[in-house]
Amino acid sequence: MNLDYQVLQAAAQWFAVLQSDTVSDDDRQAWRRWLSDPEHDRAWQRVEQISGRFEPLSRDPFGVEASSLMQRRQPTRRQALKTLSVVFGGGVLALAGGGTPWRSWTADQRTAVGEVRDWQLPEGSHLWLNTNSAVDVALNDQVRQLSLYRGELLVQVSHERRPLLLRTAEGSVKAEAAARFSVLQRDGHTRLSVFDGAVEARPANGRSRMAHQGQQLDFTDLRIEAERPVQSGRQAWASRVLLADNLRLDEFIAEVGRYRQGYLGCDPRIAGLRVVGAYPLADTDRVLDVVASTLSLRVNRRLPWWVSLEPA
Amino acid sequence: MAADGLVRQQLVHRLYVDHQGWLNGWLRRQLGCSQKAADLAQDTFVRVLSKDQGLDAIREPRAYLHIIARGLLINHWRRRQIEQAYLEAIALQPEAVAPSPESQALVVETLMQVEAMLARLPEKVRRAFLLSQLHGLTYAAIALEVGVSERMVKKYMAQAMLHCLTLIEDDA
Repeated sequence: MNLDYQVLQAAAQWFAVLQSDTVSDDDRQAWRRWLSDPEHDRAWQRVEQISGRFEPLSRDPFGVEASSLMQRRQPTRRQALKTLSVVFGGGVLALAGGGTPWRSWTADQRTAVGEVRDWQLPEGSHLWLNTNSAVDVALNDQVRQLSLYRGELLVQVSHERRPLLLRTAEGSVKAEAAARFSVLQRDGHTRLSVFDGAVEARPANGRSRMAHQGQQLDFTDLRIEAERPVQSGRQAWASRVLLADNLRLDEFIAEVGRYRQGYLGCDPRIAGLRVVGAYPLADTDRVLDVVASTLSLRVNRRLPWWVSLEPA
Repeated sequence: MAADGLVRQQLVHRLYVDHQGWLNGWLRRQLGCSQKAADLAQDTFVRVLSKDQGLDAIREPRAYLHIIARGLLINHWRRRQIEQAYLEAIALQPEAVAPSPESQALVVETLMQVEAMLARLPEKVRRAFLLSQLHGLTYAAIALEVGVSERMVKKYMAQAMLHCLTLIEDDA
């Protein structure tokens, strides 16, 4: 049943009065008197219904932030990436710079399957090592050198006079100034994703190329094979989250599979379904259950280490 | 009534047979994803089926389908934008624990509703309202943030609420 426009107007006025933190007792009493009319009461229920719609949002800090993000911008991918890298990098950059005296320093780091580790180098750079990865770090007075043997590494490079060089089986990448990038080494390929600054990729037996913020390069030891825009979720693992931004299910499953032992697969018939969401990497079994229930699929756990997603 | 429903279903079936392939192709080109295109084409026909309008009066069926599909497509992009903003919001707070996918879906849905509800308000009014309802700011703080007087904030709050009230009134 439709309510009189003037009643709606009055209800909106009362809402504005009562939402104020300076509302007086007189105001409240006047409002209660107004409310005693059944039609007013019905209008007020609508007010509460509307204000209640905001509640699930206001209780979720990410929802509030997302709403602010939506308000603030004309969304373009580049800007989104920029925001990401600035905020991700901010805390670490504050520690960087300044003339730390060099010293020879080495460290080897390994992560187990499912483990993500991060630490800071003495000169201020910050490293995150993804699941099942291995890296050696060697600092001397000419160069900051990293060697990635397998897996994935995210680097927040602090600015200083020594370049930072990272070697893989296929070649190397080099940052001359402050930058944020990740390198994934797998199956005879190295993938460089640059989130901030500029990084040079050099295949061991091929020509080098510069990658700038927002770019991703894949290379073998012979040449650079593909250049793409970096995916915004590509560094979320550093916060122990898998970001699926409209990811194909088979790609999603391959990603999740990196964080657990044994076989994980999905039926080809459902490989093209799309996954959206942020999934905590700490409990991949739960991630699978949730995705299966969202997409109405079945998790087939044939053996503890043999798991596949199938049509329900 | 039942007979009408049957005729209607047959008309939609005709529409489907004649134009489904074309609609699918158009949506696929817009979306670059055949799975999603098929979903939206399906939704388009469901929408047609549930409309009150007389179908036999439709002279330009493709134009008609196009309008409905376009609305769904815009909705789809809007949702994608909101989902992306939400994922970014999560990525921006690396220490925080990400909410469960169920509550993520709920919040994205709510964001859709809220965005749609406030879309046509002037920017300052919308901001003031969101700062109050989402961020829990006092009127004094909102006045500072938006750059208007406290009295104006109060006016904005009433304006925004009235706008929402008339919207749901139209729905009802």
